[in-house]
Amino acid sequence: MTTVTKDVAAPVRRRPRVRAIEGQELALIAVVGLLWVVLSLVTDTFLTTGNLQNILFTVAPIALVGIGMTAVIVTAGIDVSVGSQAAVVMVIVALLVRDSGLPFLPAVAVAVVIGLVLGAVNGLLVAYGGIHPIIVTFGTLNIYRFVSLQIFGTEQVAGVPATLAPIGGGLEGRLLGVPTAWWLTLLLAAGMWCYMRYWATGRHLYAVGGDAFAARLAGVRVRRRQISAYVLTGACVGLAACVLIGSGGLVQQNVGTGLELRVIAAVVIGGTSIIGGRGTVLGTLLGALLVGTVSSAVTLLSWPSELTQLFIGLFILVAVGVDLLRERRRSAR
Amino acid sequence: MTEIETVPPAERTRGEGLAAKVLRIGLTERIVLLAVLLVVVVVWFRVLGAGGYLVAPYDLRYLGNALESMVPFALLAVAELFVIVSGRGGIDLSVGAIVSLAGMVFGFMVGVWGWPLLPSILGCIVVGALLGAVNGALVAYVRFPALIATLATYYAYSSLALISNANAPISTPPVVALHSLTRNVNLPAPLPPVPLHVFTILLPCAVLAWVVLSRSTYGRSLYAVGTNDVAAAYATQSVARTRFTAFVLSGLLSGVVAVVTVGQFASARPDAGIVGNGMALPAITVAVLGGVAIQGGIGRVGGVLVAALLITWLNAGMLLAFPEGAEGSRYQLLALGLVLVLSALLNTLALRRYGRLA
Repeated sequence: MTTVTKDVAAPVRRRPRVRAIEGQELALIAVVGLLWVVLSLVTDTFLTTGNLQNILFTVAPIALVGIGMTAVIVTAGIDVSVGSQAAVVMVIVALLVRDSGLPFLPAVAVAVVIGLVLGAVNGLLVAYGGIHPIIVTFGTLNIYRFVSLQIFGTEQVAGVPATLAPIGGGLEGRLLGVPTAWWLTLLLAAGMWCYMRYWATGRHLYAVGGDAFAARLAGVRVRRRQISAYVLTGACVGLAACVLIGSGGLVQQNVGTGLELRVIAAVVIGGTSIIGGRGTVLGTLLGALLVGTVSSAVTLLSWPSELTQLFIGLFILVAVGVDLLRERRRSAR
Repeated sequence: MTEIETVPPAERTRGEGLAAKVLRIGLTERIVLLAVLLVVVVVWFRVLGAGGYLVAPYDLRYLGNALESMVPFALLAVAELFVIVSGRGGIDLSVGAIVSLAGMVFGFMVGVWGWPLLPSILGCIVVGALLGAVNGALVAYVRFPALIATLATYYAYSSLALISNANAPISTPPVVALHSLTRNVNLPAPLPPVPLHVFTILLPCAVLAWVVLSRSTYGRSLYAVGTNDVAAAYATQSVARTRFTAFVLSGLLSGVVAVVTVGQFASARPDAGIVGNGMALPAITVAVLGGVAIQGGIGRVGGVLVAALLITWLNAGMLLAFPEGAEGSRYQLLALGLVLVLSALLNTLALRRYGRLA
């Protein structure tokens, strides 16, 4: 993580050793692994294929959106409108699939395009409006929710056919026993990981988040990178919306509420710094997996489901606290 | 990104025409702009009402009643004012969760443990301040980014609020009786009845907040810290303690709002401040509309109060204009979103052009 930032921000004489897995990610793998071992010992239902498939599937939308959100947060931005974006995409695509019989691929394409457009609105406002990202996306959170409710009319969309089931839950949505949505997530995450690590424009995202002014002086097109991060998030939201539609025939008016918080939690737990310049997609996947594991554990241990939120809150505090501690030690050296 | 070129105001204002002067005052004197908008909104809905487009009269009595919903948002917006002014990305996402949790504690004190009213109210406010102190300690002393610290505590507090009574509201008779805290009081003839807590809670809190911000040493210190915390530290201000106190005050105000909402609902609801998009979002919107700059160091109580009044009366009008079920509240979402983005654009414009905003 740091190696990348340093490499971009200042010339380093010796090229640092490229490591695939960094400290925070190792710690997360350990925590998730430990949780899985403990849970499989404590309950006899955790380590069943069905439950693991279920965890992976419920985590997939969070991880998918998290891929884009990682880029946004790395550029020192934030997008709290993803839940409303998902609602807009879901209602439009669900209506098209139900009423005009849109087939699988066009449906996914439409979803991604709508997501791109919604993300572009955020990106343009952030890059050219000079407004703080949280204010922009708080505003569009409301506006997009209005748009989705306006399309919904007065009721939910029921009886959506199973066109999108190949990436939804259930038997059809699996490949080698793993939910297809998760394969999609892994593929996208791998692409993003390579992009952010090896491509110039991908590494510029870190530069923008580290110091936007310095990045501009160094010839980075700061505004373009900002817009691209939000557009990418929109596209990811489009895919996540397809996964969510694929899991059932009903789209309710409150879809996506609270999605933004879960995604941001996953990204932050995954070690991405909220002040920008640091973070990887791999961490986000692990963060999402941790969130999914915890909520599954709370259900299996038959604790009140609201406890999940408490654990997520504590995990955020611990993850960010560890990060702050490391940062302090690093700057003291 | 957002470099603000500070042009000395004197150079801008010298020899300007009338149009330029109007523009400058409109952009930099936020209260003037908001007052004009307020008049526009009221006149517009009066005209709509006269034309028969509204389902009920948009008269003084209705506007007076609408003040009931202004109280929580105005108070929470003032809470955000303290936190945002403190700078370094200060923001408090947890206010809604504090309202929920402190409200539940209040409900237990009054409705289950049978405490008398006054100690319970004090207890509720103290709980709010303590929850705010957790935020403040994390942000000011451990140096968490405010966004993340309050996101985490938002989760934690709302979880505790929901668990505290197994997701059920507390509405025993003593709690239901609290509704009288928010009854209407009759004012002399031309004035409409106004909810009691506008006088007993909103106005005292607003005056206190104004005194603290504009007339106390702490207020000066807060603006100094928010504008430039390095300079403030060299000027022997205790930066961490000032920020910590801002979050404590935000929590304290949220505790006050908890008392108000329990009275309004006649029940302590565990999801009072977090249902839907929660209370933090409208509060931040009102604060930004009221001229609080998200960069910190800028913002006044007066602007926030007028902004809260504007949003309240706009919302009230839209409920009458769209009679069909949820349509009115849907348009409220749109209005809130547009207003937030536009007022933030306005803030940026004012800061860029005149280097100030008030």
